[in-house]
Amino acid sequence: MKRVLLVFILSVSVISLLSAQDFTKILKELDNLNNFEKSDFTAVYTIITQKPGEKDSVLQARVFRRDREDLFLILILQPEANKGQGYLKDKDNVWFYDPSSRQFTFSSLKENISNSEAKNSDLTRATYSDSYTIEKTEEGVLGKIPVWIISLKAKTTDAVYDRLKIYVRKDRTMLLKEEAYSVSGRLMRTTLIPKYVELNGKLLPSQIIIVDELNPGEKSQITLTEQSVSPIPDSVFKKEFLERVNK
Amino acid sequence: MKTHVTIALRNLTRQKKRTALLAIAIAFSVMIVTVIYGLTSAISVNIAENFSDILGGHIFITGSEKHGTSKEISRISNDQALRDALKASGINYSYVSSYSSTFATIIFEGKTTSLLINGINIKENENFRKRLSLKKGDWESILTTPNALIVPEKVAQTLNVEIGDVVIAKIETVYGQNNVGEFRIAGINYNADLVSQLSSYTHTAHLNEILGLLPGEYQTFAVRLPSLKETDAAAMKYYDVLKNYVQVFDRKTEANGAPMTGFQALLRSQKKESWEGVKYRLFTINEQLAQIQQFVSAADTIGTTVLIILFLITMVGINNTFRMIMYERIKEIGTMRAIGYQQKDVKRLFLLEAFFLGMIGMLAGFLLAGILMAIVSSINFGMENEFFILLRNGHITFNLQFAKIATIFIIVSILTLLAVSLPARKAAKLSPAQALGTEK
Repeated sequence: MKRVLLVFILSVSVISLLSAQDFTKILKELDNLNNFEKSDFTAVYTIITQKPGEKDSVLQARVFRRDREDLFLILILQPEANKGQGYLKDKDNVWFYDPSSRQFTFSSLKENISNSEAKNSDLTRATYSDSYTIEKTEEGVLGKIPVWIISLKAKTTDAVYDRLKIYVRKDRTMLLKEEAYSVSGRLMRTTLIPKYVELNGKLLPSQIIIVDELNPGEKSQITLTEQSVSPIPDSVFKKEFLERVNK
Repeated sequence: MKTHVTIALRNLTRQKKRTALLAIAIAFSVMIVTVIYGLTSAISVNIAENFSDILGGHIFITGSEKHGTSKEISRISNDQALRDALKASGINYSYVSSYSSTFATIIFEGKTTSLLINGINIKENENFRKRLSLKKGDWESILTTPNALIVPEKVAQTLNVEIGDVVIAKIETVYGQNNVGEFRIAGINYNADLVSQLSSYTHTAHLNEILGLLPGEYQTFAVRLPSLKETDAAAMKYYDVLKNYVQVFDRKTEANGAPMTGFQALLRSQKKESWEGVKYRLFTINEQLAQIQQFVSAADTIGTTVLIILFLITMVGINNTFRMIMYERIKEIGTMRAIGYQQKDVKRLFLLEAFFLGMIGMLAGFLLAGILMAIVSSINFGMENEFFILLRNGHITFNLQFAKIATIFIIVSILTLLAVSLPARKAAKLSPAQALGTEK
């Protein structure tokens, strides 16, 4: 009897361990899908923001990324009032450039881009496996699609959100939905990714919907176009580039 | 010289009505400007005093820790060294207190606004309760509601909230993580200035919990002095001693020409530094309210402009009057020149007459301003009004500085002498024959 019990406990432990490893693998796959370690990445992001009682606002930005060196540059193209503004990440520093004052100021990945619900971190590399640990996994269905529902807890206080709940397709590793929770456990925003495109064998979101759960009716829709993995000149990731494009 | 003074004074009394009218014109201008100067100076002092009552101090210390590579955490976990240094500095202080504060996005039924939330020990801070004038709500329910929030009436209007409504606040913890807290509107206070329009208040414990601070931790150590006047000297003394107890940032009280206040320059320069452990930042209520000081400086500039405009108008009157006086006394000038008076003596007579006229006008102006200020400051407007932050215990106060009075004195004297210099020069240039031969 003892032997049977021991075999049962060992089997359960091994299965649990394997499952946990599988989910860690899923997180790494999700990170890899959105990370470009071997090539540069550029795309135009169009963000349409809806706020109750306000006219829809449109923000367009071109994003340049070089993930292997942890560099990115976001250049605002629209609206006219924000045209030429930009965010430059160089290692640990995020700079914001305003052409009207011609000055760089410290910014953060946590800041919202202009008046939208999107944050700088939404336009840059994903770091689920680095920043979060798996707390709970369950099976579920999103619409008609079977999904893994993975609850994540931030490893350190560096993560913007303390807890995340991600919905990943079972048949193919694709993030369909992400719920972001505050430190106090309140749902702050939901991100939906209904459309993907394939670029160089990678699945890339082409449409992202971010819903503000604290302020009903507020949401942003991000559409990606002109995606490319062609090399970007080194000069793009310099402060001088933002100054030059505004001349 | 004595004769010149006697003649100038006698000349002033020859046309009493005319002299009186000119003196009244000068007195009116001086009175208006003196009152403006006294009021603007007192407003800045009153705002600073009222805020130091609300925040419980004149000198403030915050502690910063580097977390990770670039993140800075603002918290004080152990204030013993700060207390020891305060004792060793020998500063005469009334009491010490502590508070936390953060910027938050407040959301209520689809409406949002940004606001500074101050976590105050409301129960123990009696001065805070005395100074913060409530338009709606009462202190009893504020004290018994753990997540009570007191918002300025402008914010209440923007959000369309009433007493009892529950709002949610998007707040970053001290580590920079997103957090959400619930607050119950328990008080709506009057707001009269920019700073109070953006400040709200809650219990320290509730805010600290949302900020991710541990029990006993807080963000700002505040030292209350017996008077605002002692702030700068006491801060300097405390800073010198504090340096021997803990790591302290260099103090920066000037912006070095940059378009910012000294306090903003202090924060900016410290962003570039790196350190280990906790490093403390000492600043004063005067530095924190530097923007109000900028408003007061602007009001002072307006006061000086008003003085100059009023006086340019008065100058025209004085100039015309003295031209008339010159023609009235043309034969007298001729006689004086004939008996040996030099050109400079005639000119000096005119200038002395104008100087005494200006002096009489200024004295009357200062006296009238004094009477007006005494009457206005005796009226008690009470604390239950929207201008409470500008008042001191419900009274409008005036704070006249010697430098301001000296400015008025110099401007009025120079402009009066300038107004008379032309007729005086013309009178001085008259030859005795020309003057005596002129028919009036």
